[in-house]
Amino acid sequence: MEYLATGNQQSIMDKLTVLTNAAKYDVACTSSGVERKGDGKSIGNCVAAGICHSFASDGRCISLLKILMTNECIYDCKYCQNRCSNDIPRATFSPEEICTLTMEFYRRNYIEGLFLSSGILQSPSFTMEMIFRTIWLLRNKYHFNGYIHVKAIPGAAPELIAQTGFLVDRMSINLELPTAEGLKALAPNKHRKTILTPMRQIQNGIKENKNDIVLYRNAPRFVSGGQSTQMIIGATPETDYQILNVAEGLYKKFDLKRVFYSAFVNVTGDKNLPALPGGPPLLREHRLYQADWLLRFYGFRAEELLDEKHPFFNVLLDPKEDWAVRHLECFPVEINRAPMEQLLRVPGIGVKSAQRIAAARRSAKLTFSDLKKIGVVLKRALFFITCNGRMMYPVKLDEDYIVRNLTEEKERVQFGSDGMTYRQMSLFDDGSFTGEVKPMERLQTAVGQI
Amino acid sequence: MIVYRCEDSLESIFTAIYLAYEEKRNHAETMLSLSDDPILFAEDVPVVSCTDKVLKVIKTLKRRFGEDDYKELCMALASEDMEKAQAVYRTVADGLARNCDRGHLFDNLTNDYVHKAFALARNAGRECAHLQGFVRFQELENRVLYSKIGPKNNMVTFLMPHFADRLPLENFVIYDERRNFFGIHPAGRQWYLLRGEEAGEPSELQVSEEEKAYQELFRQFCRTIAIKERKNLTLQRNMLPLRFQEYMVEFQQKP
Repeated sequence: MEYLATGNQQSIMDKLTVLTNAAKYDVACTSSGVERKGDGKSIGNCVAAGICHSFASDGRCISLLKILMTNECIYDCKYCQNRCSNDIPRATFSPEEICTLTMEFYRRNYIEGLFLSSGILQSPSFTMEMIFRTIWLLRNKYHFNGYIHVKAIPGAAPELIAQTGFLVDRMSINLELPTAEGLKALAPNKHRKTILTPMRQIQNGIKENKNDIVLYRNAPRFVSGGQSTQMIIGATPETDYQILNVAEGLYKKFDLKRVFYSAFVNVTGDKNLPALPGGPPLLREHRLYQADWLLRFYGFRAEELLDEKHPFFNVLLDPKEDWAVRHLECFPVEINRAPMEQLLRVPGIGVKSAQRIAAARRSAKLTFSDLKKIGVVLKRALFFITCNGRMMYPVKLDEDYIVRNLTEEKERVQFGSDGMTYRQMSLFDDGSFTGEVKPMERLQTAVGQI
Repeated sequence: MIVYRCEDSLESIFTAIYLAYEEKRNHAETMLSLSDDPILFAEDVPVVSCTDKVLKVIKTLKRRFGEDDYKELCMALASEDMEKAQAVYRTVADGLARNCDRGHLFDNLTNDYVHKAFALARNAGRECAHLQGFVRFQELENRVLYSKIGPKNNMVTFLMPHFADRLPLENFVIYDERRNFFGIHPAGRQWYLLRGEEAGEPSELQVSEEEKAYQELFRQFCRTIAIKERKNLTLQRNMLPLRFQEYMVEFQQKP
């Protein structure tokens, strides 16, 4: 077996290929959350908004040099291609190799920084120490001042995690699967508790550090970009409602910056994993991200979007539209008067547009053409808003009717263009046909009264 | 109707704005034009840039509208749109007339000129944010980092501070191919701009062997990081338009 002769024989190119391939299912490739000017002596700075440097052929952004330190692993998680029982080429980067690659890529502006994760080598603490050493070298010997994101290894010694936290901008610990049962079934070596303990530790570290910085302006920053986590979607039978509740809990109780969702790709072919003939559940992942944004920026709560009776997201409508058509009593919203919270709940109005509306209506009464300039997506918003007491077209506030117009884009009627105002009648699109047949109606049909 | 004929430069346009106020023009009856197209029944006034006037205008804009909105106005002026001078002029006039608070210059989006200037600034700002990521440096044999770009808006002025802050100890050059315009940063010193005519013909560029190796490594990285089950070239093109791709190493074939 050739690959047993690891280490020196492998070229950097081989190692990069193996270790990039091993890291590609990690999603957290963002470089946001930290604003740090260059200090004139070292290389690098950070921009709060984050910078995307390229986009791979799957359309995901390449912002950081996303690699594993090693893909050797003592664990045997069933969903992971690096599991120890999997027969794949293995490789390990030395700290110097990682540093040189990062520096050379960074000065050519290929990347915004380093994302370093690792398989578990020997023990969690040993691995964490290797990661710490690499990052220390990168910061202190190579004078790299750019963005660094590392994975905290669950089960590693708390001192190591604390030490690493002072060198990096963001740390993350993967929750892997939304529920403890799922984790137990698919990742026998990982436990919910060992994942949540370091998460809590980092949260407390960030809080304490905030106080320190108030006291001493130049105190070292601890994980200044906050921490994130990721969950695999579709490997275990959780509902969207459960997943969203977990995410909400993480945001509230652990002050996470981001929760990432990763549509499950079956790379190991394990018998306990679902086969996904239709490809990874990308739409589901997309809906979860949409809902995630609603939780963080739009003031929604998880139980508003989904509940026990509707545990999955609507395939045709995005979560905000779905909420709006189920809560027509809140609409229409008057653009020139409604408070910010109500504007944010209108489909087609985002945070930016809502802010612009609030600013612009101070100096003028807004009309629909002004809304267009502001950036409101009128094809979605027009069913839910009024300007100066008028709707854009005569529109019925009726769930059935609005859903049809929001979904059937091609068949949508241009209102007013041909004198048609409401929907055209046809024999079969009567909403009452879809409802449950009552015993009384059945009787009436039988005796010929309907 | 009075028409101030400006050049396509920030100095010339700011001088024209100064003149419009100095000569107490009625703003509704005044135009700033970058072209020489004649306008019927209009009186042409040629504008000669004057540093004193430009500095006074900059000072006033910063004082009245705040640093951020001043930057937005500069972004709008970096656009390639020919109407930008008029849009910026009337936006400034609107802001001064409304006596708007700092940071609220672009609030009045119902005004067509304000909206135009806002849209131009947004467009240029987006391209600037794109280029901060998409600029690719090549290391030449003398270890100078060299990058060629061809943006729609005039972006070199906005990119230089970002990269000078990021790579303070590197010699680097950003060359705007469309405008024949260089941004030059000598290691450890202040950056400056150079027009192509002043720089002379660039000789044939030689990249080092090491450079080729790193380019190949990055190409391999970009190929490997993609998940083939999720392949979506349309999404890639939406996020990274083709006009940027032609300048980026990961989309070029191995020479």
